[in-house]
Amino acid sequence: MSEEQIQILSRLQQNSNLSKSDILLRGLEILGEYYSLGLDQPPLSLELRNLEAEAMHHAEALRQIRKKEDAIKQVIQELGSVDKAIDKYQGSKSALIQILLDIQAQNHWLPKPALMWVSERLGVPWSQIYHIATFYKAFSLTPRGRHIVQVCLGTACQVRGAPRLLDRVMDVLKIKPGETDHEQRFTLTTVNCLGCCALGPVVVVDGNYYTRPSLKEIKQIAASYE
Amino acid sequence: MESIRLEIDGKFVEAQEGMTILQAARGAGIDIPTLCHDERLAPYGACRLCTVEITKDNRTRLVASCVYLVEEGLVVETNSERVNKIRKMLLELLLPLAPTGPLESLARKYGLEGSRFTAEQTSCVLCGLCVRYCAEIKKANAIGFIGRGIDREVAFLPEVAPKVCASCRECFAICPGGKLASETDGVRFPISIWQSKQELR
Amino acid sequence: MARLSSSADLKKLRQEILSQRDPDRPCVTICSGTGCQCHRSEEVVDAFVHQIENLGLQGRVDLRCTGCHGFCERGPIVVIFPQQICYLGVDTKDVSEIVSQTLIENKLVKRLLYKDVETGQHVAYENEIPFYKNQKRIVFGSNQLIDPKRIDDYIALGGYFALDKALFEMGRDKVLQVVKDANLRGRGGGGFPAGIKWETTRNAPGEPKYVIVNADEGDPGAYMDRSLLEGNPHSVLEGLIIGAYAIGSHEGFIYVRQEYPLAVQNITIALEQAREYGLLGANILGSGFDFDVQIHRGAGAFVSGESSALMTAIEGRVAEPRPKYIRTAVSGIEGKPSTLNNVETWANVPLIINNGADWYRSIGTEGSKGTKIFSLVGKVNNTGLVEVPMGTTLREIIFDIGGGIPNGKKFKVVQTGGPSGGCIPESLLDMPVDFDKLTTVGSMMGSGGMVVMDEDTCMVDVARYFTDFLTQESCGKCVPCREGLRQMLNILKNICDGRGKEGDIELLEEISEVMKDASLCALGATAPNPVLSTIKYFRDEYEAHIQKKRCPAKVCRELITYYILPERCQACLICARNCPTGAITGGKHLIHVIDQEKCTKCGICFEVCPSRFNAVVKLSGEPVPPPVPKITKPILLVEDEVIFRESLRDWLTEGGYQVTTTGDGEEALKVIRGQEFDTIILDLKLPGKDGIEVLKEAKSQKPSLKAIIITAYPSPETATEAMKAGAIDYLIKPFNPEMLERVIAGVTEAKAEVTPETNER
Repeated sequence: MSEEQIQILSRLQQNSNLSKSDILLRGLEILGEYYSLGLDQPPLSLELRNLEAEAMHHAEALRQIRKKEDAIKQVIQELGSVDKAIDKYQGSKSALIQILLDIQAQNHWLPKPALMWVSERLGVPWSQIYHIATFYKAFSLTPRGRHIVQVCLGTACQVRGAPRLLDRVMDVLKIKPGETDHEQRFTLTTVNCLGCCALGPVVVVDGNYYTRPSLKEIKQIAASYE
Repeated sequence: MESIRLEIDGKFVEAQEGMTILQAARGAGIDIPTLCHDERLAPYGACRLCTVEITKDNRTRLVASCVYLVEEGLVVETNSERVNKIRKMLLELLLPLAPTGPLESLARKYGLEGSRFTAEQTSCVLCGLCVRYCAEIKKANAIGFIGRGIDREVAFLPEVAPKVCASCRECFAICPGGKLASETDGVRFPISIWQSKQELR
Repeated sequence: MARLSSSADLKKLRQEILSQRDPDRPCVTICSGTGCQCHRSEEVVDAFVHQIENLGLQGRVDLRCTGCHGFCERGPIVVIFPQQICYLGVDTKDVSEIVSQTLIENKLVKRLLYKDVETGQHVAYENEIPFYKNQKRIVFGSNQLIDPKRIDDYIALGGYFALDKALFEMGRDKVLQVVKDANLRGRGGGGFPAGIKWETTRNAPGEPKYVIVNADEGDPGAYMDRSLLEGNPHSVLEGLIIGAYAIGSHEGFIYVRQEYPLAVQNITIALEQAREYGLLGANILGSGFDFDVQIHRGAGAFVSGESSALMTAIEGRVAEPRPKYIRTAVSGIEGKPSTLNNVETWANVPLIINNGADWYRSIGTEGSKGTKIFSLVGKVNNTGLVEVPMGTTLREIIFDIGGGIPNGKKFKVVQTGGPSGGCIPESLLDMPVDFDKLTTVGSMMGSGGMVVMDEDTCMVDVARYFTDFLTQESCGKCVPCREGLRQMLNILKNICDGRGKEGDIELLEEISEVMKDASLCALGATAPNPVLSTIKYFRDEYEAHIQKKRCPAKVCRELITYYILPERCQACLICARNCPTGAITGGKHLIHVIDQEKCTKCGICFEVCPSRFNAVVKLSGEPVPPPVPKITKPILLVEDEVIFRESLRDWLTEGGYQVTTTGDGEEALKVIRGQEFDTIILDLKLPGKDGIEVLKEAKSQKPSLKAIIITAYPSPETATEAMKAGAIDYLIKPFNPEMLERVIAGVTEAKAEVTPETNER
């Protein structure tokens, strides 16, 4: 931060007893208002700029959000729920993993703005959060749907038309293997062999097996999972 | 500070309470090989090259000398057959990862002419020196570990590194594997985990 | 719930609870552990609730959802009190019968009772079932008597009286002494004396001191801790509070893996209820002792079950273990003295306090006191959780309680101690199980996982499986573990895939030695055990894989081929129809052959071939015999009745035979002279030359010709004459054409047996 910015920040803190992260949050809110007024090119601190970039990136990925100020609103909302998780553990640094578990459970992944916010609020280095998020298998850094769809591509299923089945599933869910739909309903994956070759080709949703489904059946199956 | 007397390789050594065997040995002119150790950083105990044999109360064990604190009456062997066998195997396991550089000469010193093993040549032995230097000395945390087990990696963090690394680069000099040394044209960052994998439709 | 502020209050509460309970009142208990829930026990509960309501029995019949009973193979388990009648495998459709027969009319529903496999006898009472009879369930047994979500059930059984005794009758020093005297050793695998650990923490400088419950049970196949925490969380909590009191700790943690949601739920409820009663929190029972507990969930890492790694995880960091020379009992969480013990260890504490050290020492062996809960799983008839005194032999556990190996297979090994343990072969089955004995044979008791494996197990594949598991779970910090596992896995995969080299076994042993000596923590140091123990007892299997590219147990996919034995194939087409790649050729009456190019070794043909045929076999290390040539036996069919002749000709042609037909005997002889035939099917009643005449002449012309007589008019004389003339068989119309085919193929030697009375065989 520049000398000027540091001064402004400390004046803000002095005057209002706000923490640095509180100020950032206020900054975000003001930024949102700024954009909604149709203004552009606001002066930003580096952290705020980072947060804004993340908000945009996030919005782009979610594809539902078109306007900058809506993206900011979305992120502020997310940060709010992160704050709730943090407060549940009294902002204790040692509760980091518990906080991340709560965020993962709520969102079915760890969105980057949420992690940046945890780092900011708890005062934990970004590297530590990154390592934890990649070390423990409970966490996913890419969005996961509420329901996991697996299409078996083992040799036996392959020969019985698994690729065609996969095509049909992709048509219905509108995503490719490894992807999650924007409503986070489904994550599509392929697996090598589920060991039920006699039933092939097979689609598994949340542990429920469906053998040789027709296109109509696939649509029905998808509709039955919210 | 209490003075502690122990025996290293048949030689009597005076050390201070709170010292590690490695410190005591080096202070007495006895060298023990290390890979992940640096005087300026807290001991890490990851490479296990500094393993030594200690005997106390008739019980012999193998310990990492960089973390084991000296004790009164301890008998230490830094060069026994068992210890050398261990060091040789550790180097043989690491060689495929970083076949040239400091590791190569150390391997030769222990009689290794190459390795029976194969692995992807990453030029990184995961010693953590860069990570720990950035965290403990520079306090910047711009480079860190990600992942676990054989998927463990060292990565510059794109959220932090662009701001601080170009003017620093001090970790380059301490890298034994050659990964950082090879990044001489500015600092290159691996693709952010988010950018490479985020595929929402 | 009124807060209890003295020992007297607790005693009064128990009296009140008991006075409100009528032990003679019928109570339906349904096991609600995770295992039975997978068998839909929740639906069974609902069914009981509805049925009891429908029949207006509420208020007269109680219902209780209990903790795990342990006989998980046979869930859902329903036990009717007060008689303790035990029904196994209860389905929702059995509920109305149970209610009307047992609850109302006091009669047994025999088909739901345990039935002894050998004697055929039914067993009505839970504690008489052989599975339970041979156990000593002092820790686990309470599970089935309580609802884990109701603290009153636990108090009714005498719960929290040990805490009461510890606080008001014994004092901290005495409690510590008793636990030391009892020689309670850690049940998590390390077997370290708990009393000594407690004492170390108590005497170590530094505040605060912590106590921790390790519920991060990660060994694949082990689920004792889960069932204990789900089924009787207060037993663990009570032990923890007593331990905290003896040590002087006021803060505790329960570290539960997040893969155990029911355990997390039930322990959370238990903590809340205990706090409400003043059994946890400030001024417990008015004693002045403060102690509270936090739940900390794991995030999916086996290594976080290692004590020092667990403490690092509680600190909010990556679960990397610390060097063992700095004992966590002295410097644990945030460098403060911390005592960590396993779930089962804590659950033993109230028993020791209530019954004394002498009582505890009377159970078990010299070095290992008390009981141990094992999870008996794998190829064993009665899978479930088993609690026996230390020193019980493997044979007793696996055969007397476990009921032996299913499907008539032979026992091969039992794997104990999870990924840190090893395999124990049949020759050592009489080994007593305790902390020290199993380590002498290359394994360890570990946390209690016991995986039984039969003759169809490949030991190299087992070693590969465990090494693969550990490679994924290693934290990756230290070189011997991370790189050692990487290379060992590589070598083992190569061996299983037929790419093993001479010297691989020795290289595995060499890497293992360094891992054992130099690893930072016990995960790395014990990781070689599965490899070393399988090499120790089954070196020949490794050698077969490497030298002969053969998998003796016929498991490793790259080293086996599936083959159909032509002499056993009955051409039923079942395997051909089920083969997912269409690799099996064969017709209705043609021996089936597997095209090895197309075969994916999925094993379906092996599974579906009817057991009375058993024609599909697995070969390994031997060349596949060349396929049986197609049967194109030239057959001459001599039959004057046109329709029958043509349909029989069509039927045989479909079966792959070359068929020539004629309706006349003279014609037939002419044809035989000009052409080679394998078989002649001869009707007896022919125009012109009689069948027997034709037969004699044909045989004199071509003695090797096989002749089958068919006729609608049986008589013992013609039969004898025909056989004497050289016919190989005599079939009476109408006959099963498949029978004819077997005779032609030479598969069966059916001799005609014509009796004057019957027209049939």
